[in-house]
Amino acid sequence: MERKLFLKQGFAALGMTFIAPLANSCKKNDIAADETTGGSDTGSGSDTCTVAPTETEGPFPTKNPSAYERKDITDGRSGYKLTVNITVGQVSKSCAALAGAIVDIWHCDAEGNYSEYGGTQMQSTNYSSVHFLRGRQTTDSNGLVTFTTIFPGWYQGRATHIHVHIYNASGTSLKVTQIAFPEGSGSALLAVNGYSKGMSGYTYNASDNIFSDDKDGVEMSTVTGDKTNGFSLAIQLNVP
Amino acid sequence: METRIVTLCYRKIIDARSQKEWEKLVFEDTWKEFKMQSQLFNQESRYTTFSQLLLHVPASEKLHFLVSAAAVNYIKQLGNKIPDVVNNIGKTFLSFSKFYFEIINSDLQHKSVHSIAINFYSDPLRWHETIGDYLLLSADADGIEGQTSLYKIQPFVNIHSLQKEQNDGAIKR
Repeated sequence: MERKLFLKQGFAALGMTFIAPLANSCKKNDIAADETTGGSDTGSGSDTCTVAPTETEGPFPTKNPSAYERKDITDGRSGYKLTVNITVGQVSKSCAALAGAIVDIWHCDAEGNYSEYGGTQMQSTNYSSVHFLRGRQTTDSNGLVTFTTIFPGWYQGRATHIHVHIYNASGTSLKVTQIAFPEGSGSALLAVNGYSKGMSGYTYNASDNIFSDDKDGVEMSTVTGDKTNGFSLAIQLNVP
Repeated sequence: METRIVTLCYRKIIDARSQKEWEKLVFEDTWKEFKMQSQLFNQESRYTTFSQLLLHVPASEKLHFLVSAAAVNYIKQLGNKIPDVVNNIGKTFLSFSKFYFEIINSDLQHKSVHSIAINFYSDPLRWHETIGDYLLLSADADGIEGQTSLYKIQPFVNIHSLQKEQNDGAIKR
């Protein structure tokens, strides 16, 4: 393959696609009008003749939202209940609420793992847990979205955080950011204590490569609640 | 011929030429999801195609997984039956419980370039014998006793795995 073409198209150029000819129907040779008597050879089509699908089609598919669109993103992951409330404001309108914005969040589970393709790359049709702890909501007239999830765990090198991606109603990215958790005594973070991991080796916000330069605390949330009744997180995130 | 247990894989390609309603819905929604998710890896808007992203941003390989969410609810609508693959009397006969979604290529500006594949892995089948070009298959274990299908392997269908079974029913690996 030409080097230029390969560089331009990359690996995808190797995977040329074409539609499978599964719908070729068998074609009988036309019986000539004067061959109505005797044992004529009617023939049965070409060597590549295959049966066309002949079943009642349906039920007709209906438009379906992305599997991300749901309030409860827990998907059976165990952990302390956490309600995440994000309010989106527009800086260009003095931080007035932005309605109709699409907000995606995602975070790791209690062990510090994200949902992603496993080693074998096959997904089972246990659809309900494939994209665990990932979700999407659209802001209401108050610029608010709410998710029901679990308090995140942590992994090596990072403070506990929730990823956020805010888009406008047409899907254009407005902001990609992360939410930080308060750490002081009495904080939810210390109450959860890293689940079964504990906090040994934990990276606190001041050492975290994303949060350490957040002097104004724009990425810092407020968290209330307790382990018995669940926690509630709130944050205002502003977009241009 | 000793019985073999096989799984088939059908790689269903969906692109701009796909005609069926279900395919068109998957095509539209996965392109939209690609445009949304790829922004994570393309924050300076330097790249316009999936192939460019793969080349320059290794982490964008995650897009196969991230975009799959747009297809999942449509795959659910199939009711665990692999579409398009029919036996010799024109009926779909394979069920699946595993699949793999992949992006073949895509382009932020040209929908015609968007192309995805859903790999459907069939539940295990007994391959009893081969008659001419046809495999004589039946659902393994849970299938209705005695019911078989004659199937001629089509393009985009592969024998994904194979296990040989000894006459006494034990699996030979």
